[in-house]
Amino acid sequence: MRAWAIETILASLAYVLASILTFAVLMPLQNVFFPEYPSRASLLFLPHGVRVLSAWLLGWRAIFALLPGVFIVFAYLGGTDVFMPSRLMAIAIAVLTVPAVFYLLKAIGWDLFPRSDRKPCWICVMGVGIITSFLVSGLTNLAFGSATVEYIAFLIGDISGLFFLMLGLYFAFRFADTRRG
Amino acid sequence: MTEISKLTELRKLMQSMERTLGLEILSPVERDIYYAAEELSKSDHEVRTFGLIEHTLVQSVSRPTFFRALKSLVEKGYLSQSGSANRGRYIVNAPR
Repeated sequence: MRAWAIETILASLAYVLASILTFAVLMPLQNVFFPEYPSRASLLFLPHGVRVLSAWLLGWRAIFALLPGVFIVFAYLGGTDVFMPSRLMAIAIAVLTVPAVFYLLKAIGWDLFPRSDRKPCWICVMGVGIITSFLVSGLTNLAFGSATVEYIAFLIGDISGLFFLMLGLYFAFRFADTRRG
Repeated sequence: MTEISKLTELRKLMQSMERTLGLEILSPVERDIYYAAEELSKSDHEVRTFGLIEHTLVQSVSRPTFFRALKSLVEKGYLSQSGSANRGRYIVNAPR
């Protein structure tokens, strides 16, 4: 039970922090450098990386671990609109899609979940991130009824967000090792 | 899976990324010794210096270079000296 609580706090906190970084830092920069860009979607959406890595590490438990964080972010962005059916649908899509894809792949014989007796494949995890990005973008746009330009922006943001989150984690580990050594 | 092992899995994932993107901080000799140690540690928890020197990946490396690289691997945390009294035994740390 304690492990579940820790997982939930860490995963949700990571999601909220990644969202704050995306909306409070990266998006203002995006508006400065690409002022003509018509979409309001982020071109570097770090929370997708949190979704993918949480699902990879935690499996189906990532659904519950991420739910508080995803709800907080939706509530922060949409206020009381968070209880609208379309928003609730988008929350469900955000937390369910990635674990579902990992388990679907496992069911067809491609188990990507971490195991101590084998080396993980980051390209494969990126691949799942891309597949789920298509699904999440498509389904979310259905829920919100967004334009095609938003759909493409979601895709770019998700894929680059996952890649740069992993790269950021890599350098964070390297920095921690340097400090420790 | 415990919290620590999740962190280890995450580090292993980053390591696979590191190799593909060429971000490694190990020299070619250090990498060969680390791979040799990793392989030897599958059959025995502790890796002996003698076993490492004899490994095919390391055979062509001169003794001074080998020991310099071994020392560097310990300093970088890839290997750690065994806690037992017998020196010349190393434990392979989780990939990072």
